[in-house]
Amino acid sequence: MKFLKFLSSRLLTYIFVILLGMTIVFFVPRFMPSDPVESMLGQMMSKSSTMDAAAIEAMRKTLNENFGLEGTLGEQYFGYMKRVIFTQDFGPSLTMYPVPVKELIADSLPWTVCLLGISTVISWLIGNGIGLLAGIRKDKAYSKILEGIAICIYPIPYYIFALTLIMLFAYIFPVFPLSANFDVSGFTWENLKTVIWNSVLPALSLILTGTGWWVISMTTLSRNTNEEDFVAFARMKGLNERKVISRYVLPNTILPQITMLALQMGTIFNGSLITEILFNYPGLGSLIYRGILQADYNLIMGTITTSIFAVATATLVIDLLYPFIDPRVRYN
Amino acid sequence: MKKSRLKKVMSVLFILCMVFSLVACGSEKTPSDSGKSGETSKESKPASTDGKMTDVGTPRSETLIVDILSGRIANPDLFNPYVPGSVPMDAGVHQLLHGKLWEIDTVKGEQYPDLAATMPELVEGKENTYTFKMKENLKWSDGEVLDAHDVAFTFNMLMDSQELAFGAVVRETVKSCQALDDLTVEIVTHKPEPKLSQKFGVTIFGNGLTVVPEHVWKDENPATFTYSDPLSSGPYTIKDRDKQGYWFLYEKREDWKNTAVGQTVGEPGPQYVLFKSFGTEEKRIMAAISNEIDILQDITPESWEILRKKNPESMAWYAGFPYADMNDPCERGIAFNCADPIYGNANVRWALALATDIKNVSLATFDGMLRVSPLQLPPTDVLMDNYHKPMVDWLKEFELEDGYKPFDDSYATEIVKILKEKGVEGLPETEQDIIDVFGVGWWKYDVDQATKILNKEGFTKKDGTWYKPDGSVWEMSILAPADFEIQSMRLAFAVADSWNKFGVKVTVVQQDAATYWNNEATANFEAGSFWPACGIMPDSSINMEHWNSKYIVPVGEQAPGNRCRWGGEANEKVTELLNELMQLPSDDPRVIDGITEICKLFVEEQPFIPMFGTSKFVPVTTHYWTGFQTAENDFEGPWWWWSQFKYYTPHLKPTGN
Repeated sequence: MKFLKFLSSRLLTYIFVILLGMTIVFFVPRFMPSDPVESMLGQMMSKSSTMDAAAIEAMRKTLNENFGLEGTLGEQYFGYMKRVIFTQDFGPSLTMYPVPVKELIADSLPWTVCLLGISTVISWLIGNGIGLLAGIRKDKAYSKILEGIAICIYPIPYYIFALTLIMLFAYIFPVFPLSANFDVSGFTWENLKTVIWNSVLPALSLILTGTGWWVISMTTLSRNTNEEDFVAFARMKGLNERKVISRYVLPNTILPQITMLALQMGTIFNGSLITEILFNYPGLGSLIYRGILQADYNLIMGTITTSIFAVATATLVIDLLYPFIDPRVRYN
Repeated sequence: MKKSRLKKVMSVLFILCMVFSLVACGSEKTPSDSGKSGETSKESKPASTDGKMTDVGTPRSETLIVDILSGRIANPDLFNPYVPGSVPMDAGVHQLLHGKLWEIDTVKGEQYPDLAATMPELVEGKENTYTFKMKENLKWSDGEVLDAHDVAFTFNMLMDSQELAFGAVVRETVKSCQALDDLTVEIVTHKPEPKLSQKFGVTIFGNGLTVVPEHVWKDENPATFTYSDPLSSGPYTIKDRDKQGYWFLYEKREDWKNTAVGQTVGEPGPQYVLFKSFGTEEKRIMAAISNEIDILQDITPESWEILRKKNPESMAWYAGFPYADMNDPCERGIAFNCADPIYGNANVRWALALATDIKNVSLATFDGMLRVSPLQLPPTDVLMDNYHKPMVDWLKEFELEDGYKPFDDSYATEIVKILKEKGVEGLPETEQDIIDVFGVGWWKYDVDQATKILNKEGFTKKDGTWYKPDGSVWEMSILAPADFEIQSMRLAFAVADSWNKFGVKVTVVQQDAATYWNNEATANFEAGSFWPACGIMPDSSINMEHWNSKYIVPVGEQAPGNRCRWGGEANEKVTELLNELMQLPSDDPRVIDGITEICKLFVEEQPFIPMFGTSKFVPVTTHYWTGFQTAENDFEGPWWWWSQFKYYTPHLKPTGN
């Protein structure tokens, strides 16, 4: 019963957050100083010399009709909510008309999920491993060195870091391609190899920069936990060091890291814009960027709603799983 | 025990490093094992001299690699040119696939027939009826004949399809279109259209009209047809594309003789042309240094300096300073919202022109590598010969209301002197060469005269700050592009600096493209770093037509033209002249006189203060290909993103590398 009550309250919150997010995502682009049709007309006119006012008006009407931007704001809003909720249809992209936004997201999503998902998990594993080691062996030289490296890497702006990797491994020592080339013409071993090979540099850059934060946070957490009374008591009881770490230190330090990991897994649906730009990587980040730059309402709504859905779902899953991970948390 | 755990941790880390290294080493490219895509890699290819292959599986020695200006293409399968999200024309589409009815020779400033064989001619005795012939023996890339029926079909399709945006433009001009026979097209217009070829042919960059094959399109809905396997009327066909939109590979047509380029210039040089997006400017420069790219689109002067020093095989338009090509058909400057009571005053605009330290603006914008323009026409070679140079005497004698003569013809010699002092080498020596490179002159930098004008208009200056006639501090914002159109962006900051020193509180507001264009069109700005002065042919009336008073709409509405909302007596005179010019054929001798008069009216009023022509840094690397156009070999300008690119290809020859 308690669980059902807990579940229903979490589900209600989940649905409310998603609906609220969708509503905000619908209205915010419409309050931007740019309008997709006017921007498109403006660009067309800047390239051609002139068009009669009547021709401009006719084009405006045509584009508004094509893009589904006719009608009052309320009509557009309810139409959009109905379409998204019942058919998951965000309509056509305005800048890539008539391609459906759903199709664009479906094309980009696997790339983003693979790269960011894998690199987030790897950096989490490495970072927490090193962090734990540095935290519990704080006086050892290797702990200080590893922590030092993490502290050095962490503040380096990602852009500089990624460019340095490109300079080193694609230009000075041209091991990796300067401009990635992803073959997606079929699932073959050759194609897979090409994709992996082209993904190494972007993944490496994400892992190295991502690891820094995990090392720093885990070091602090494990160092504090290691000095807690219950850990000291465990040692005094005569438990060996492996047991102390695996049963007392690690379970207590890893919980916040798992929460952070889940939230990060949700945010990977935002894509990684700089990675995509620097490494020519096809993902969601550049879709969102393009949507915002070109005031492509449908694309903005589609990509951001996907992200809201992902983050909300990740949070819900963590909420539901937490009691299993941490017995101190109960459904109340 | 502890040591063994440490060893395990270190081993895991070591293995991870090894995995990365092995993946990398295992994938190191060889000619047969490149990061290839599609069928091209599977077919046998002629061996190149050094066996190097491109990453799309073509021999490097047979492949011309061109930078894509638009970056990654979101939908690489949408080739329908009449829907908004189609593959951008400058991704090789109009350069290689689409022939146009009429093309532009930018050196002569004349149009010439491309798919058409003749220019449109008025049919005697028939009102508003024009005919033109198509070239014989033209074929689509599938072997079908390309003739007058395809042209008529395209016009009729556009007129009939309400959903196609470009249809509105065609309907506004064309009443009917038909093929009189296989080679003759007849177009009836609503009103006399002596410049029909300029409306539906190329003057600048390209043209919205793309002839489509009737046999493919006749059963399709033009508003939804993707045209993912486009037929080509140009000398290349599309061979392969990246599904992610980073590159498009084109191959020379076996029947290139059945194309307009093949018939008029000859066989294109490269077997393959790869249009590819390399990403950020840093990566594009690295690629050019490594000869992984042959033709670069817009880069900054700073990047050119790096490329020039690092790759001796790179080449810009001029072999020495100023390197950049300066014949771009649009000029840069500051436009004003003339509907604003302050900036609607021509004397205020003149005061700001005289408060502009143009030499410093040039140095701050592009290190002095700019050609000045005092006229409402860009300082291209053709237009300099027709307008700038012939008007110098008039400019020297031109007086403001109080008799002040603002023109300064010493700009070119002065900037050369400054550049010499800065250690720049390779500057032009003779007076004529100096003017050809740096322009005929501009307005004096005379803050005293600017002060005099403003005082007369009720402005006051206290403690180095200007106050408006109503007593408030004179604050001004200049709208500028954010991270695109670098020259205009930098120009805005340089001009703001000049005017700030003069005492006007100027801020630069950078905006993304969508907001920027929207604000320009709706006159939501005080001043803006725009480029509303374009022209390429001596008859630039069609490019000036947007200043016609009929396009003025209230602030807040999207203006179809005249975005500065420049009206008044002078504009009425301009409108009158434009209305006359639009009815004259381009070769009418009255055209030059009429445009000269228009230029004079613009000088008097300055609704847009023209400053510099656009300097284009669009270098090439010559490791694999030679024959590119340069100042020494100027059969055309370096317009790699224009539709006329296809006419350059026969000039390009492999170096043997």
